[in-house]
Amino acid sequence: MNLQPEDFWSFEEWFLRPDAFLESAALKGIVLFVLAVVLGLLLGYVISAARYGSGEGFYAVARAIRDFFRFDLPGTAPRRVLALSRLAFKEAVRRKVLYVVGLFVVMLLLAGWYLNPQSDDPGRLYISFVLTATNYLVLALALFISAFSLPEDIKNRTMYTIVTKPVRATEIVLGRMIGFMAMGTVILVPMGLLSYFFVVRGLDHTHYEVEELVELPGGGYEGETDYVPSHHHSHSFTLGEDGLGTTDSVRGHRHVVLRQSDGTFEIGPPEGALRARVPDYGDMVFRDRGGNLDDQGIDVGSERLAGGYGSAGMARLIGVTGGQRKLLHGYIEGGTLGAAEYTFDQVNPERYPDNIPIDLSLRAYRSYKGDIETGIRGSITMKHPSKPIESNAIPFIVDEYEVDERMLPLNIEGTDGTETRELNVFEDLVDEEGRLTVVIRCLDRGQYLGATPSSAYLRPAENSFGWNLTKAYASIWLQMAMITAFGVMFSTFLTGPVAMVATAVVVLLGFSAEQVYDTRHYIDAGQNRGGGPIESLVRLIRQDAMTTELDVDALAGKVIKTTDAGIVYMLDALATALPNLPKMVGTAEFAASGFDIFGALLARHATATLGYVVLAFVISYFTLKSREIAA
Amino acid sequence: MDTETNVAVADTPAGAATEPAANESVVIETRNLSKIYRDFWGRKKVHALKSLDIEVRQGEIFGLLGPNGSGKSTTIKLILGLLFPTSGRVLVFDKDAGETQKNERIGYLPEESYLYKFLTAEETLDFYGRLFDLSAAERRERVSKLIEMVGLQGAKSRQLKEYSKGMTRRVGLAQALINDPDLILLDEPTTGLDPIGTREMKDLILGLRDQGKTVLLCSHQLADVQDVCDRVAILHQGELKELGRVEDLLKVQDITEVHATGLSDEAKREIADVISRHGGKLESMDNPTATMEDLFLNIVRESEARPGARRVSQRPDSADGQSESDSGGSV
Repeated sequence: MNLQPEDFWSFEEWFLRPDAFLESAALKGIVLFVLAVVLGLLLGYVISAARYGSGEGFYAVARAIRDFFRFDLPGTAPRRVLALSRLAFKEAVRRKVLYVVGLFVVMLLLAGWYLNPQSDDPGRLYISFVLTATNYLVLALALFISAFSLPEDIKNRTMYTIVTKPVRATEIVLGRMIGFMAMGTVILVPMGLLSYFFVVRGLDHTHYEVEELVELPGGGYEGETDYVPSHHHSHSFTLGEDGLGTTDSVRGHRHVVLRQSDGTFEIGPPEGALRARVPDYGDMVFRDRGGNLDDQGIDVGSERLAGGYGSAGMARLIGVTGGQRKLLHGYIEGGTLGAAEYTFDQVNPERYPDNIPIDLSLRAYRSYKGDIETGIRGSITMKHPSKPIESNAIPFIVDEYEVDERMLPLNIEGTDGTETRELNVFEDLVDEEGRLTVVIRCLDRGQYLGATPSSAYLRPAENSFGWNLTKAYASIWLQMAMITAFGVMFSTFLTGPVAMVATAVVVLLGFSAEQVYDTRHYIDAGQNRGGGPIESLVRLIRQDAMTTELDVDALAGKVIKTTDAGIVYMLDALATALPNLPKMVGTAEFAASGFDIFGALLARHATATLGYVVLAFVISYFTLKSREIAA
Repeated sequence: MDTETNVAVADTPAGAATEPAANESVVIETRNLSKIYRDFWGRKKVHALKSLDIEVRQGEIFGLLGPNGSGKSTTIKLILGLLFPTSGRVLVFDKDAGETQKNERIGYLPEESYLYKFLTAEETLDFYGRLFDLSAAERRERVSKLIEMVGLQGAKSRQLKEYSKGMTRRVGLAQALINDPDLILLDEPTTGLDPIGTREMKDLILGLRDQGKTVLLCSHQLADVQDVCDRVAILHQGELKELGRVEDLLKVQDITEVHATGLSDEAKREIADVISRHGGKLESMDNPTATMEDLFLNIVRESEARPGARRVSQRPDSADGQSESDSGGSV
């Protein structure tokens, strides 16, 4: 998992962006609301002016706003909202949407055919499968049920008997939204339970026997477990003198092995496949080969092409965002003073009573082939943040593409100034504020290790997998709620199919927001990366490569580029206004990679969802209110 | 929000002394009301209503009469706020028709009962009761009373999709009365009803009037309008053609009607002589025929009183139109 800068933000940082308010979610929300209000007023005036003439139109708009605040909002009665949401719920049930759960069961039953059991990490595969399947099924469902209901009621004229009761437009909209969200919940809960059991049961297996057992000369045993055909693996293990030990990690898990007094072996259930690590990230700095502070590390080239513009809110839209667009791996050179330094907070005996678990996910960049068998070597050093006290280096061999879990001991040999002695981490290396610096170096000369701020973290705790999966489902729920709100909003002024397509466009544009941001960035930066839609089409037809100069005559080129810029800028503004769905879908990645979905992330998604739902609600109210139901 | 606690739904037949328009306060007022239907591009399609000015007073039954497409339904929809006027205004209980609060005191039976087919009659009424923010106890009481009133006790737990048209119509009527409204708007109340249902509907409308409620109905069933309405407005192509009390409008000034029984042919001849002596002109002297409605209702009542096969009376194909049940003549 490669985290982006915004992933490290706490809720307040995300919402207010203390140093860069332009990038804040709050500002984005405010701008969206102001924009909606201004556009709404303008549109409302144009429509009512066309209906009643320019003077009367003004009063009509004023009346609509007054009605909203004076009558309809305060007049909204819970009983009516509830009655309408019950109706929406019943209607959804009648449309047999619960069959989706059945469809999901069928997908799970057939999953065995296409989930590769020989994968290195079946846990990840299973979790991302169930979450992705649920996510898209539920989003598609939300799209369908929300977009068709209102237009159908208007077409069937059942709406006549509703709106001629003292029912406020607020209640009609709210009732629909709540009813469908309840429906989504009713569908998500069994899906979540099924997913949990599917993953847990799917990964569970038992090794019964021990093979090729060798008694070690110094006491203890070495051996292998039996091969479990359905899970395609066996483990080898080493036991200590006490007869207790763990197997090696195969396919993302290990087992505890215990030799009983009667000489039989007991092999425990699989461990470590389903987890929720709670990482504690530190502040990171690079040092260049001379040991001087460096903010980036070495760029080995391929990284910058990866694109990515991040979500920097309004700042990005108006083109004033600073800093990196995306977190890239900075590389440290081997055999020099180059290093990546992480400073962690709250290092204390309460959080780390026995040792300090540290997880590394580093990349390696080889400038020559070297020893291909062993991989590139690095070292970890614990250091006092300000005093010249540091532990001896703990060497390791980098484990690419995996989370390399290590333990830092609490007592370690080290140097205090010039003196060499046994150091205690809490007494000697941690400063008064509870901070500890961990330095990572590369040992092989001419080879490089790549690191980002998320490449090393301490792991003070673990959460349960079940709870993590629940949070992943909560994120899906939020997406469902958002799409339901959009669907209902569009259905207040469009016919069913059109409302569905409009909602789908919102979803798709939300999903491709990053690509739109990138395209705009390349246009701004004058880079040839295929350009906007028209230019891309020309290149496609002419079979021109993306990075060549567009080969048309000067005037045509100018026209194409100008039009493209216009289109892309509009798309960019639109995509910025829309919810960042990929980010929300991305929470599944946390669960699949075995990371705890931290509260701030969920709180951010929840806040964003609430914001969009409220926006959709207000827009829906005014469009429904200004609509002739019988027309 | 005034929600009366006592339920007063009509099951007393009409017959008590009626004092139409005792209270002259105006319930519905349209001022220069016009509606033009436009297409998507704003081009004029139909001028559905042209400068309508009517007043419906409290306690009267007001009929909107006219052929199809004359603007009756448009008027009702404008009054309900389902449509917005192109120009002019509608005031209901002195409030603009666009305001939702007026609906507290209104009951509306649409042209066809647009109800949720997957609900049962009880659920439907309960649902609409909730829309009036009625408490659970109130809803229970009113729902059972209304179901009894419209005679659906036996079918109250069946989904509406299993209902016949007449039954759906009854549920539609019951939902219009769930809030004990002061003003009831009925769009074609008797379409789809059998003669008994039609009669019951008419009795019910009269009953509502007797409770002091105001009824506005639109219909092209002239007989219905004639039977129940106090005042009518006749619309044609969106224009008001006639407005007034039914009896005034229907009174034919220079024709005299006499009903008598037990007259011999000779007596009839004499009467004809008397008429011509006084300079009058005898237009017709005949035995009246009963209306089909009367005949039908008689048969049904009779068979309800005495179930079993009914003896079909062999009437002579009489040339003089004499039938055994008739004993009177009319001039």
